[in-house]
Amino acid sequence: MTTSTPLIAGVVRAGKGDPVAAARVYVVDAPVSLPDIAALTGADGTFTIGVPAAGRYTLEANAEGWTPVRETIVAEPGINHIELRFGTRNA
Amino acid sequence: MSVQDYEVATTGPHAPVSNQPDIASEVIEELTEPSSPGADGEQAAAPGIEVEDVPGHRSLALAADPEIGFNLPITQLPDIGEASFGPPLPREETVHGPDDRTQVTNTAVYPWRAIASLFITAADNSTWIGTGWFVGPHTLLTAGHVVYIKNSGVPGRDGWVKSIQVMPGRNGTNLPYGSVTSNSFRSVDGWINNGDENYDYGAIILGTDLGNTVGWFGYQVLNDADLTASTVNIAGYPGDKPSGTMWFQANRVASVGPRKVYYDIDTAGGQSGAPVWRLVNGDRLGVAVHAYGGTVTNSGTRITSPVASNIAAWKA
Repeated sequence: MTTSTPLIAGVVRAGKGDPVAAARVYVVDAPVSLPDIAALTGADGTFTIGVPAAGRYTLEANAEGWTPVRETIVAEPGINHIELRFGTRNA
Repeated sequence: MSVQDYEVATTGPHAPVSNQPDIASEVIEELTEPSSPGADGEQAAAPGIEVEDVPGHRSLALAADPEIGFNLPITQLPDIGEASFGPPLPREETVHGPDDRTQVTNTAVYPWRAIASLFITAADNSTWIGTGWFVGPHTLLTAGHVVYIKNSGVPGRDGWVKSIQVMPGRNGTNLPYGSVTSNSFRSVDGWINNGDENYDYGAIILGTDLGNTVGWFGYQVLNDADLTASTVNIAGYPGDKPSGTMWFQANRVASVGPRKVYYDIDTAGGQSGAPVWRLVNGDRLGVAVHAYGGTVTNSGTRITSPVASNIAAWKA
């Protein structure tokens, strides 16, 4: 896949690395305003979000049973990989 | 305030576009429509009350009363929405400072049941969550980017989404009115062909008249002064809260643009398409469709006369 649009391609995992399906992933901090929509991870825990400009983005993942987790990435044109890993279970 | 009647545009950025083959011949009937509570009554709203009654909600609109000593600037705020695709200078956050949203738990009561959680399947089978709101018996209004994905950069994703599962009044795993899946959508040329956020609105058409049961919102076209002076309510289904739960906040409008409305109301991914409404003597009147998160204010697509014309046509 070649693209000039920055793409954030990620995976959501939990614990020792098991992928988390149907986690909600959304941008919480970005250099530009963005559509207020959230991606759901696939069965393999993956997602891909296109962003309109290069820059620093913070993503958050949220899924039942886990404390939400955030990661920040500096996205450049092309594919940018990120992993969000749940570490703490909700009470 | 004024509500004006316009004909549906046949060319230009507000020209309606559909994924159905025969939509170009739709003819407008009415440009405005009052809200309807549906079949089972509604949450009471006393005359003169502008903010929906949600237990626990702290009204920022009231806190901004000059008599209390805090004046929210309501005009001339930076037009951050216009900078959506501009230089990446400011930081953009959709929850500003403390999170002031309050959960709505009586979602089976109007107006809450006229708001729907959306499960979206895009052309590439990726899945997303959003929000929509009934504007008629079988029509929900939402953001354009909910029904038609534009400039994603992902091969196979752009275009009309495959389907949207509509869940009115959802509260977690409870679906008080079940769910309906649609693959009939509407948007406009300015969004579909140009990806212009000023035209980021669309509609979901259902095969059933579920709106007759859950009710629907009216909508209103206001001039700049009246809209800027308004207090607005927003409720939707953000992804940062427990799955499928509805969250609400109200505040004064921060500023308006020709086709946008800006407000300091916290939102998060999943609230795209939510109603931005005024409560006027018990009538719920949408004035914008929530669509974007920004630095100081979040923003929605303003219901202008051409937008109202398209809504009227889409709900026919």
